[in-house]
Amino acid sequence: MGVFEFMVGKKKPTPGEVAKERLKVVLVHDRLKVSPETLNLIKKELIGVLSRRLEVDEELVQINLTREAGYDKLQADIPIKRQRVTFDWDPPAYTPSEEVLRGRINIEDDEGTHD
Amino acid sequence: MDSRIITITSGKGGVGKTTTTANLGTALALQGKKVAVVDADIGLRNLDAVLGLENRIVYDLVDVVEGQCRLRQALIKDKRLPDLYLLPAAQTRDKNAVNSVQMEQLCQQLRQEFDFVVIDSPAGIEQGFRNAIVGADEIIIVANPEMASVRDADRIIGLVEAAGKPEPRLVLNRLRPEMVKRGDMMDVADVLEVLGIDLLGIIPEDEAIIVATNKGEPAVYDKRSRAGRSFVNAALRLLGEEIPLEDVVSEAPSLLEKLRRLVGFGPAPADRRLRSQSS
Repeated sequence: MGVFEFMVGKKKPTPGEVAKERLKVVLVHDRLKVSPETLNLIKKELIGVLSRRLEVDEELVQINLTREAGYDKLQADIPIKRQRVTFDWDPPAYTPSEEVLRGRINIEDDEGTHD
Repeated sequence: MDSRIITITSGKGGVGKTTTTANLGTALALQGKKVAVVDADIGLRNLDAVLGLENRIVYDLVDVVEGQCRLRQALIKDKRLPDLYLLPAAQTRDKNAVNSVQMEQLCQQLRQEFDFVVIDSPAGIEQGFRNAIVGADEIIIVANPEMASVRDADRIIGLVEAAGKPEPRLVLNRLRPEMVKRGDMMDVADVLEVLGIDLLGIIPEDEAIIVATNKGEPAVYDKRSRAGRSFVNAALRLLGEEIPLEDVVSEAPSLLEKLRRLVGFGPAPADRRLRSQSS
């Protein structure tokens, strides 16, 4: 292993590595008691906030809870298409309404009211 | 007396709690310590059979707790070691026959008599598990290098912490070196990284464990058993000796060694300490 790796390109993870990665994710969810729905809501909210300043590639956004070096953490991979040059409106510092915080309103719906 | 009460637990069933209890208890007694092993798995008694003491039971843990007999009447002396005793579990009762207060009192009683009290916890996180850890000074978690076991172990770490006990130590049991080498099983480092606790021992998968259980004679007596030797090392670490952790993966017997052993040549990998004990 190792020497010829560069010839083959990136190696497929072994079942042992897969187990470790899956465990990391499942344990953080267990510990923090964050459900996949909650994580999905966090993802939507993040996209909502960032979209005010940047053009986020929503399809490719990845949000994970994981554990590294003894810390539980939220890992977000947020690809950006290009920098937004103009704004139709200049949003104020973001303060979510109570409905958004409680997850009753989707960010997308919220945004729709601004034009 | 400066005694230590150690509970062996795991969350998940079938990972080797009873095997670990029997082997660590026996290994400690082989080192000249006065040891009681306690079967706290009420209703699913097994530690007696692993130690080969199943047909000597008169009284059990529940009898002691309920005052049907004195502690000394229920303690069964080991066949081979004069300083090893078993307090068996009741077989006809269930986990709720004992409460935490009674269990703590029992631990205090045992503390008067023994250097080490090793408690075999039942699987699960209910009352039986709580009873098993309530009187413990130290907790040892047994886990296998696979998803379900490690996940449950993590849950137990949280519960042990919540119970105000010191950070548990890990016995990583049933590691299969060949699978680790192939990348088909998590390595020791992977499990440690995920769980973040200290390692007390690494026990390779070993058919000798089943043979030992069949005979009712813990594997630590078997000098040829790799698992047996690893349990001896774990016990010595418990006693504070600085024994380096075995590199189970790269020390796995090669095909040539296996062949040699099959034919009966070559040195049997005996543990020097045990050998010097018996000679």
